Amino acid sequence: METDRKDGRTPNQLRPLKCSRNILHRAHGSASWSQGETKVLAAVYGPKAGTKKNEDPEKACIEVIWKPKTGQIGKAEKECEMIMKKTIQSICLLTINPNTTTSVIVQVVNDDGALLPCAINAACAALVDAGIPLKHLAVAICCCVAEEGSVVLDPTKLEEQQMRGFAYLVFPNSALSALPEGSYLVNGEPLEHGIITSVTHGVMSVDEYLKCVDRGRAACAKLSGFLRNSLQKSQFPSDTSSKAA
Amino acid sequence: METKPSNGSPAKFVDQLVVPGDVILDLSTMAEQTIKLGGGLRQDCDAISVIKAGILRFSKPNKYWVESSQKRYVPCAEDSVLGIVVDCKPDNFLVDIKGPSVAFLPVLAFEGGTRRNIPRFEAGTLIYVRVVKANTGMNPELSCVDVLETLGKKLPFEIAVGLNGRVWVNAGSPSIVIVVGNAIMKSESLTKVQQKIMAEKLLQRVQQE
Repeated sequence: METDRKDGRTPNQLRPLKCSRNILHRAHGSASWSQGETKVLAAVYGPKAGTKKNEDPEKACIEVIWKPKTGQIGKAEKECEMIMKKTIQSICLLTINPNTTTSVIVQVVNDDGALLPCAINAACAALVDAGIPLKHLAVAICCCVAEEGSVVLDPTKLEEQQMRGFAYLVFPNSALSALPEGSYLVNGEPLEHGIITSVTHGVMSVDEYLKCVDRGRAACAKLSGFLRNSLQKSQFPSDTSSKAA
Repeated sequence: METKPSNGSPAKFVDQLVVPGDVILDLSTMAEQTIKLGGGLRQDCDAISVIKAGILRFSKPNKYWVESSQKRYVPCAEDSVLGIVVDCKPDNFLVDIKGPSVAFLPVLAFEGGTRRNIPRFEAGTLIYVRVVKANTGMNPELSCVDVLETLGKKLPFEIAVGLNGRVWVNAGSPSIVIVVGNAIMKSESLTKVQQKIMAEKLLQRVQQE
Protein backbone atom coordinates (compact mmCIF):
# COMPACT_ATOMS: atom_id res chain seq x y z
CA MET A 1 0.00 0.00 0.00
CA GLU A 2 1.42 3.35 -0.99
CA THR A 3 1.17 6.17 1.50
CA ASP A 4 1.22 9.76 0.28
CA ARG A 5 3.98 11.57 2.13
CA LYS A 6 3.99 15.32 2.63
CA ASP A 7 7.28 15.92 0.87
CA GLY A 8 6.37 13.71 -2.06
CA ARG A 9 8.72 10.80 -1.30
CA THR A 10 7.83 7.16 -1.83
CA PRO A 11 7.79 5.01 1.30
CA ASN A 12 11.19 3.56 0.50
CA GLN A 13 12.91 6.79 -0.40
CA LEU A 14 15.44 8.38 1.91
CA ARG A 15 15.93 12.10 2.38
CA PRO A 16 18.92 13.85 0.78
CA LEU A 17 22.10 12.81 2.60
CA LYS A 18 25.05 15.05 3.29
CA CYS A 19 28.28 14.06 5.02
CA SER A 20 31.34 16.19 5.78
CA ARG A 21 34.47 15.04 7.56
CA ASN A 22 37.35 16.76 9.31
CA ILE A 23 35.39 19.91 10.01
CA LEU A 24 36.68 20.56 13.55
CA HIS A 25 40.36 21.37 13.59
CA ARG A 26 41.12 20.51 17.20
CA ALA A 27 39.22 17.26 17.45
CA HIS A 28 41.07 14.12 16.45
CA GLY A 29 38.18 13.13 14.23
CA SER A 30 34.96 14.89 13.34
CA ALA A 31 32.04 14.50 10.99
CA SER A 32 28.69 16.06 10.31
CA TRP A 33 25.82 14.02 8.90
CA SER A 34 22.50 15.33 7.72
CA GLN A 35 19.44 13.54 6.42
CA GLY A 36 17.08 16.18 5.06
CA GLU A 37 16.69 18.74 7.83
CA THR A 38 18.03 16.57 10.65
CA LYS A 39 21.68 17.41 11.25
CA VAL A 40 24.12 16.03 13.80
CA LEU A 41 27.76 16.90 14.48
CA ALA A 42 30.05 14.29 16.04
CA ALA A 43 33.60 14.73 17.38
CA VAL A 44 36.02 12.02 18.52
CA TYR A 45 38.91 12.57 20.92
CA GLY A 46 41.35 9.79 21.67
CA PRO A 47 42.63 7.31 22.42
CA LYS A 48 43.64 8.98 25.67
CA ALA A 49 45.47 7.29 28.51
CA GLY A 50 43.53 5.76 31.37
CA THR A 51 40.09 4.24 31.72
CA LYS A 52 37.16 5.15 33.92
CA LYS A 53 36.63 3.63 37.33
CA ASN A 54 34.41 0.63 36.68
CA GLU A 55 35.70 -0.21 33.24
CA ASP A 56 37.82 -3.17 32.25
CA PRO A 57 41.46 -2.03 31.95
CA GLU A 58 42.23 -4.76 29.45
CA LYS A 59 40.04 -3.15 26.84
CA ALA A 60 39.63 0.32 25.43
CA CYS A 61 36.77 2.30 26.94
CA ILE A 62 34.29 4.30 24.85
CA GLU A 63 32.57 7.32 26.34
CA VAL A 64 29.65 9.07 24.64
CA ILE A 65 28.41 12.55 25.50
CA TRP A 66 25.15 13.63 23.92
CA LYS A 67 24.45 17.34 23.72
CA PRO A 68 20.87 18.27 22.84
CA LYS A 69 20.10 21.36 20.80
CA THR A 70 18.35 23.12 23.70
CA GLY A 71 17.57 22.34 27.27
CA GLN A 72 19.37 20.48 29.99
CA ILE A 73 20.68 16.95 29.84
CA GLY A 74 18.05 14.57 31.15
CA LYS A 75 17.11 10.92 31.08
CA ALA A 76 16.33 10.83 27.37
CA GLU A 77 19.84 12.03 26.55
CA LYS A 78 21.36 9.48 28.93
CA GLU A 79 19.42 6.75 27.18
CA CYS A 80 20.70 7.88 23.79
CA GLU A 81 24.23 7.94 25.18
CA MET A 82 23.92 4.38 26.43
CA ILE A 83 22.50 3.09 23.14
CA MET A 84 25.27 4.77 21.15
CA LYS A 85 27.94 3.54 23.54
CA LYS A 86 26.84 -0.07 23.16
CA THR A 87 26.60 0.27 19.37
CA ILE A 88 30.05 1.82 19.07
CA GLN A 89 31.56 -0.74 21.42
CA SER A 90 30.41 -3.52 19.15
CA ILE A 91 32.07 -2.08 16.06
CA CYS A 92 35.37 -1.01 17.63
CA LEU A 93 38.30 -3.33 18.16
CA LEU A 94 38.66 -2.84 21.88
CA THR A 95 41.72 -5.00 22.49
CA ILE A 96 44.10 -3.04 20.30
CA ASN A 97 44.61 -0.11 22.71
CA PRO A 98 43.94 -1.40 26.22
CA ASN A 99 43.64 1.01 29.11
CA THR A 100 42.65 3.98 26.95
CA THR A 101 39.50 6.06 26.65
CA THR A 102 38.01 7.32 23.43
CA SER A 103 35.41 10.08 23.79
CA VAL A 104 32.65 10.63 21.25
CA ILE A 105 30.75 13.88 21.61
CA VAL A 106 27.49 14.24 19.71
CA GLN A 107 25.93 17.67 19.20
CA VAL A 108 22.41 17.88 17.82
CA VAL A 109 22.23 20.76 15.37
CA ASN A 110 18.70 20.20 14.16
CA ASP A 111 16.11 17.54 14.93
CA ASP A 112 13.62 16.71 12.19
CA GLY A 113 12.98 13.03 12.77
CA ALA A 114 15.26 9.96 12.79
CA LEU A 115 17.68 11.66 15.18
CA LEU A 116 19.37 8.63 16.72
CA PRO A 117 20.19 6.92 13.39
CA CYS A 118 21.60 10.20 12.10
CA ALA A 119 23.76 10.49 15.23
CA ILE A 120 25.04 6.93 14.87
CA ASN A 121 25.98 7.55 11.24
CA ALA A 122 27.77 10.76 12.19
CA ALA A 123 29.65 9.06 15.04
CA CYS A 124 30.76 6.25 12.74
CA ALA A 125 32.08 8.71 10.15
CA ALA A 126 33.89 10.63 12.91
CA LEU A 127 35.50 7.41 14.21
CA VAL A 128 36.78 6.66 10.72
CA ASP A 129 38.12 10.21 10.47
CA ALA A 130 39.99 9.78 13.75
CA GLY A 131 41.54 6.49 12.66
CA ILE A 132 40.13 4.41 15.50
CA PRO A 133 40.46 0.73 14.48
CA LEU A 134 37.04 -0.68 13.62
CA LYS A 135 35.81 -4.15 12.74
CA HIS A 136 33.38 -2.73 10.18
CA LEU A 137 31.23 0.36 9.78
CA ALA A 138 27.71 0.81 11.09
CA VAL A 139 24.84 2.31 9.10
CA ALA A 140 21.60 3.22 10.83
CA ILE A 141 18.09 3.79 9.58
CA CYS A 142 14.68 4.55 11.01
CA CYS A 143 11.71 2.53 9.82
CA CYS A 144 8.19 3.21 10.99
CA VAL A 145 4.88 1.44 10.77
CA ALA A 146 1.90 3.54 9.74
CA GLU A 147 -1.63 3.10 11.05
CA GLU A 148 -2.63 0.84 8.17
CA GLY A 149 0.42 -1.39 8.57
CA SER A 150 2.63 -0.14 5.75
CA VAL A 151 6.35 0.46 6.36
CA VAL A 152 7.83 3.90 5.76
CA LEU A 153 11.56 4.73 5.84
CA ASP A 154 13.35 7.80 7.21
CA PRO A 155 10.42 9.81 8.58
CA THR A 156 10.39 13.52 9.32
CA LYS A 157 9.38 14.64 12.79
CA LEU A 158 5.75 15.20 11.80
CA GLU A 159 5.52 11.76 10.21
CA GLU A 160 7.16 10.17 13.25
CA GLN A 161 4.52 11.59 15.54
CA GLN A 162 1.68 10.26 13.39
CA MET A 163 3.04 6.73 13.11
CA ARG A 164 1.87 3.80 15.16
CA GLY A 165 5.37 2.62 15.94
CA PHE A 166 8.93 2.98 14.75
CA ALA A 167 12.22 1.15 14.95
CA TYR A 168 15.80 2.39 14.74
CA LEU A 169 17.94 -0.30 13.15
CA VAL A 170 21.70 -0.42 12.82
CA PHE A 171 23.39 -2.80 10.40
CA PRO A 172 27.03 -3.49 9.52
CA ASN A 173 28.07 -2.02 6.20
CA SER A 174 28.39 -4.01 3.00
CA ALA A 175 32.03 -4.82 2.49
CA LEU A 176 34.12 -5.53 -0.58
CA SER A 177 35.60 -8.92 -0.24
CA ALA A 178 38.31 -10.93 -1.92
CA LEU A 179 36.78 -14.09 -0.57
CA PRO A 180 34.66 -16.26 -2.84
CA GLU A 181 30.99 -15.60 -2.32
CA GLY A 182 29.54 -17.58 0.46
CA SER A 183 32.71 -18.48 2.26
CA TYR A 184 32.61 -15.82 5.01
CA LEU A 185 29.26 -16.57 6.58
CA VAL A 186 28.07 -16.40 10.12
CA ASN A 187 25.38 -19.00 10.76
CA GLY A 188 24.63 -19.27 7.07
CA GLU A 189 24.09 -15.58 6.39
CA PRO A 190 26.52 -12.98 5.09
CA LEU A 191 27.85 -10.48 7.62
CA GLU A 192 25.76 -7.52 6.53
CA HIS A 193 22.54 -9.31 7.40
CA GLY A 194 23.29 -9.06 11.09
CA ILE A 195 21.66 -6.40 13.23
CA ILE A 196 23.90 -4.43 15.57
CA THR A 197 21.22 -2.44 17.38
CA SER A 198 17.45 -2.28 17.33
CA VAL A 199 15.42 0.25 19.31
CA THR A 200 11.66 0.14 18.99
CA HIS A 201 8.90 2.45 20.16
CA GLY A 202 5.16 2.04 19.89
CA VAL A 203 3.10 -0.94 18.83
CA MET A 204 3.78 -3.27 15.91
CA SER A 205 3.25 -6.92 15.14
CA VAL A 206 6.10 -9.38 14.62
CA ASP A 207 5.46 -9.49 10.86
CA GLU A 208 5.56 -5.75 10.61
CA TYR A 209 8.82 -5.69 12.53
CA LEU A 210 10.36 -8.26 10.20
CA LYS A 211 9.18 -6.21 7.23
CA CYS A 212 10.87 -3.18 8.75
CA VAL A 213 14.09 -5.16 9.11
CA ASP A 214 14.03 -6.24 5.46
CA ARG A 215 13.33 -2.77 4.10
CA GLY A 216 15.85 -1.26 6.46
CA ARG A 217 18.53 -3.69 5.37
CA ALA A 218 17.99 -2.87 1.71
CA ALA A 219 18.17 0.86 2.43
CA CYS A 220 21.31 0.39 4.48
CA ALA A 221 23.02 -1.16 1.50
CA LYS A 222 22.46 2.15 -0.29
CA LEU A 223 23.60 4.11 2.76
CA SER A 224 26.83 2.17 3.03
CA GLY A 225 27.49 2.82 -0.67
CA PHE A 226 27.06 6.53 0.01
CA LEU A 227 29.36 6.35 3.04
CA ARG A 228 32.03 4.63 0.98
CA ASN A 229 31.81 7.29 -1.72
CA SER A 230 32.02 10.11 0.77
CA LEU A 231 35.12 8.54 2.32
CA GLN A 232 36.60 8.29 -1.16
CA LYS A 233 36.22 12.00 -1.73
CA SER A 234 37.74 12.82 1.64
CA GLN A 235 40.98 11.09 0.77
CA PHE A 236 41.65 13.92 -1.66
CA PRO A 237 41.39 16.89 0.70
CA SER A 238 40.40 19.41 -1.93
CA ASP A 239 36.76 18.53 -1.33
CA THR A 240 35.82 17.16 2.07
CA SER A 241 32.08 17.16 1.69
CA SER A 242 29.84 14.97 -0.39
CA LYS A 243 26.16 14.99 -1.14
CA ALA A 244 23.67 12.43 -2.30
CA ALA A 245 20.01 12.64 -3.08
CA MET B 1 25.68 -6.76 -1.22
CA GLU B 2 28.93 -5.69 -2.73
CA THR B 3 30.97 -8.86 -2.40
CA LYS B 4 33.03 -9.66 -5.47
CA PRO B 5 34.03 -13.20 -6.37
CA SER B 6 37.67 -13.83 -5.80
CA ASN B 7 40.01 -14.99 -8.48
CA GLY B 8 43.05 -15.02 -6.23
CA SER B 9 44.41 -11.64 -7.32
CA PRO B 10 44.71 -9.12 -4.49
CA ALA B 11 45.91 -6.50 -6.94
CA LYS B 12 42.27 -5.58 -7.49
CA PHE B 13 42.12 -3.53 -4.30
CA VAL B 14 45.58 -1.98 -4.39
CA ASP B 15 45.55 1.84 -4.69
CA GLN B 16 41.84 1.92 -4.01
CA LEU B 17 39.90 3.16 -1.06
CA VAL B 18 39.15 0.46 1.50
CA VAL B 19 36.90 0.83 4.51
CA PRO B 20 36.82 -1.14 7.77
CA GLY B 21 35.26 -4.50 7.15
CA ASP B 22 36.64 -5.06 3.66
CA VAL B 23 38.44 -8.34 3.20
CA ILE B 24 41.33 -7.83 0.84
CA LEU B 25 43.11 -11.16 0.81
CA ASP B 26 42.01 -14.72 1.11
CA LEU B 27 44.90 -16.66 2.52
CA SER B 28 43.47 -20.03 1.68
CA THR B 29 44.20 -19.42 -2.01
CA MET B 30 47.79 -18.42 -1.38
CA ALA B 31 49.61 -21.31 0.16
CA GLU B 32 53.28 -21.07 1.12
CA GLN B 33 53.70 -17.36 0.61
CA THR B 34 55.00 -14.94 3.21
CA ILE B 35 53.10 -11.70 3.41
CA LYS B 36 53.99 -8.68 5.53
CA LEU B 37 51.17 -6.58 6.93
CA GLY B 38 51.65 -2.94 7.75
CA GLY B 39 49.28 -0.57 9.53
CA GLY B 40 45.53 -0.71 9.14
CA LEU B 41 45.28 -4.44 8.44
CA ARG B 42 44.43 -7.39 10.63
CA GLN B 43 44.50 -11.11 10.18
CA ASP B 44 41.24 -12.92 10.85
CA CYS B 45 41.83 -16.67 10.48
CA ASP B 46 42.21 -16.99 6.72
CA ALA B 47 41.19 -13.51 5.72
CA ILE B 48 43.05 -10.22 5.87
CA SER B 49 40.58 -7.51 6.77
CA VAL B 50 40.84 -3.74 6.95
CA ILE B 51 40.49 -1.89 10.24
CA LYS B 52 41.19 1.70 9.16
CA ALA B 53 39.80 3.50 6.14
CA GLY B 54 42.37 4.57 3.60
CA ILE B 55 44.09 3.65 0.36
CA LEU B 56 45.52 0.16 0.16
CA ARG B 57 49.15 0.14 -0.88
CA PHE B 58 51.40 -2.69 -1.95
CA SER B 59 55.15 -2.72 -2.23
CA LYS B 60 57.13 -5.57 -3.68
CA PRO B 61 57.74 -8.23 -2.81
CA ASN B 62 54.99 -8.81 -0.34
CA LYS B 63 54.11 -5.88 1.92
CA TYR B 64 50.55 -4.53 2.22
CA TRP B 65 49.42 -1.57 4.24
CA VAL B 66 46.66 1.03 4.41
CA GLU B 67 47.71 4.63 3.87
CA SER B 68 45.65 7.12 5.84
CA SER B 69 46.22 10.35 7.68
CA GLN B 70 45.27 10.83 11.28
CA LYS B 71 45.80 13.55 13.81
CA ARG B 72 46.60 11.18 16.65
CA TYR B 73 49.85 9.26 16.73
CA VAL B 74 50.02 5.57 17.71
CA PRO B 75 53.56 4.67 18.77
CA CYS B 76 55.27 1.95 16.71
CA ALA B 77 58.76 0.55 17.11
CA GLU B 78 61.47 2.02 14.84
CA ASP B 79 59.68 5.35 14.42
CA SER B 80 61.57 8.64 14.72
CA VAL B 81 59.57 11.21 16.62
CA LEU B 82 59.94 14.63 18.17
CA GLY B 83 59.08 14.73 21.84
CA ILE B 84 58.80 17.34 24.55
CA VAL B 85 60.24 16.54 27.98
CA VAL B 86 57.56 16.68 30.63
CA ASP B 87 59.30 15.46 33.75
CA CYS B 88 62.58 13.97 35.02
CA LYS B 89 62.81 10.90 37.18
CA PRO B 90 65.90 9.17 38.59
CA ASP B 91 65.87 6.52 35.84
CA ASN B 92 63.85 8.00 33.00
CA PHE B 93 62.77 11.22 31.40
CA LEU B 94 59.02 11.41 30.77
CA VAL B 95 58.47 12.59 27.21
CA ASP B 96 55.23 13.59 25.52
CA ILE B 97 55.08 12.17 21.97
CA LYS B 98 51.41 12.95 21.24
CA GLY B 99 50.34 9.38 21.77
CA PRO B 100 47.90 7.83 24.19
CA SER B 101 50.45 7.72 27.00
CA VAL B 102 53.64 9.42 28.08
CA ALA B 103 56.86 7.72 26.91
CA PHE B 104 59.95 6.89 28.92
CA LEU B 105 63.44 7.88 27.79
CA PRO B 106 66.01 6.02 29.88
CA VAL B 107 68.68 8.31 31.25
CA LEU B 108 71.44 6.13 29.79
CA ALA B 109 70.02 5.82 26.28
CA PHE B 110 72.40 8.32 24.70
CA GLU B 111 75.57 7.91 22.69
CA GLY B 112 78.37 7.45 25.22
CA GLY B 113 75.97 7.89 28.10
CA THR B 114 77.07 6.84 31.56
CA ARG B 115 75.83 7.61 35.04
CA ARG B 116 78.36 10.42 35.26
CA ASN B 117 77.31 12.48 32.26
CA ILE B 118 73.54 12.38 32.38
CA PRO B 119 72.16 15.11 30.09
CA ARG B 120 70.17 17.77 31.88
CA PHE B 121 66.85 18.44 30.17
CA GLU B 122 64.38 20.88 31.59
CA ALA B 123 60.65 20.48 31.19
CA GLY B 124 59.80 21.82 27.75
CA THR B 125 62.97 20.70 25.94
CA LEU B 126 62.36 19.42 22.42
CA ILE B 127 64.22 16.23 21.53
CA TYR B 128 64.43 14.01 18.46
CA VAL B 129 64.23 10.37 19.49
CA ARG B 130 63.54 6.93 18.17
CA VAL B 131 60.86 4.62 19.59
CA VAL B 132 62.46 1.42 20.76
CA LYS B 133 59.54 -0.46 22.25
CA ALA B 134 55.86 0.26 21.82
CA ASN B 135 53.65 -2.42 23.28
CA THR B 136 50.00 -1.78 23.89
CA GLY B 137 49.26 -1.31 27.54
CA MET B 138 52.78 -0.21 28.44
CA ASN B 139 54.38 3.18 28.10
CA PRO B 140 56.58 3.36 24.99
CA GLU B 141 60.33 3.40 25.43
CA LEU B 142 62.59 5.79 23.54
CA SER B 143 66.25 6.18 22.73
CA CYS B 144 68.29 9.17 21.62
CA VAL B 145 70.60 8.63 18.69
CA ASP B 146 72.96 11.04 17.00
CA VAL B 147 70.86 12.10 14.05
CA LEU B 148 72.75 15.16 12.84
CA GLU B 149 74.74 13.17 10.28
CA THR B 150 71.63 11.66 8.81
CA LEU B 151 70.10 15.07 8.06
CA GLY B 152 71.33 16.14 4.69
CA LYS B 153 72.27 19.73 4.09
CA LYS B 154 71.06 20.34 0.56
CA LEU B 155 69.22 23.49 1.46
CA PRO B 156 70.32 26.10 3.96
CA PHE B 157 68.07 24.87 6.72
CA GLU B 158 67.87 22.00 9.17
CA ILE B 159 64.78 19.94 9.58
CA ALA B 160 63.68 17.07 11.79
CA VAL B 161 60.47 15.25 10.96
CA GLY B 162 58.69 13.11 13.51
CA LEU B 163 56.18 10.40 12.65
CA ASN B 164 54.00 11.74 15.42
CA GLY B 165 53.07 14.83 13.47
CA ARG B 166 55.68 17.28 14.81
CA VAL B 167 58.28 18.97 12.58
CA TRP B 168 61.24 21.09 13.73
CA VAL B 169 62.86 23.59 11.36
CA ASN B 170 65.95 25.68 12.02
CA ALA B 171 67.68 28.12 9.67
CA GLY B 172 69.92 31.19 9.61
CA SER B 173 67.18 33.75 9.34
CA PRO B 174 63.51 33.67 10.48
CA SER B 175 62.28 34.31 6.94
CA ILE B 176 63.76 31.01 5.71
CA VAL B 177 62.11 29.16 8.60
CA ILE B 178 58.74 30.67 7.71
CA VAL B 179 59.14 29.87 4.02
CA VAL B 180 60.02 26.24 4.77
CA GLY B 181 57.14 25.92 7.24
CA ASN B 182 54.66 27.30 4.72
CA ALA B 183 55.99 25.04 1.98
CA ILE B 184 55.48 21.96 4.11
CA MET B 185 51.98 22.93 5.18
CA LYS B 186 50.89 23.77 1.66
CA SER B 187 52.30 20.62 0.10
CA GLU B 188 50.19 18.24 2.13
CA SER B 189 47.52 17.77 -0.50
CA LEU B 190 49.50 18.35 -3.68
CA THR B 191 50.97 15.82 -6.04
CA LYS B 192 54.73 15.63 -6.62
CA VAL B 193 54.63 17.81 -9.72
CA GLN B 194 52.49 20.43 -8.03
CA GLN B 195 54.80 20.41 -5.01
CA LYS B 196 57.82 21.14 -7.22
CA ILE B 197 56.06 24.05 -8.91
CA MET B 198 54.95 25.51 -5.60
CA ALA B 199 58.42 25.14 -4.09
CA GLU B 200 60.03 26.84 -7.10
CA LYS B 201 57.61 29.76 -6.86
CA LEU B 202 58.41 30.19 -3.17
CA LEU B 203 62.15 30.09 -3.87
CA GLN B 204 61.79 32.78 -6.54
CA ARG B 205 59.95 34.97 -4.11
CA VAL B 206 62.63 34.52 -1.47
CA GLN B 207 65.41 35.35 -3.90
CA GLN B 208 63.67 38.50 -5.01
CA GLU B 209 63.72 39.87 -1.49
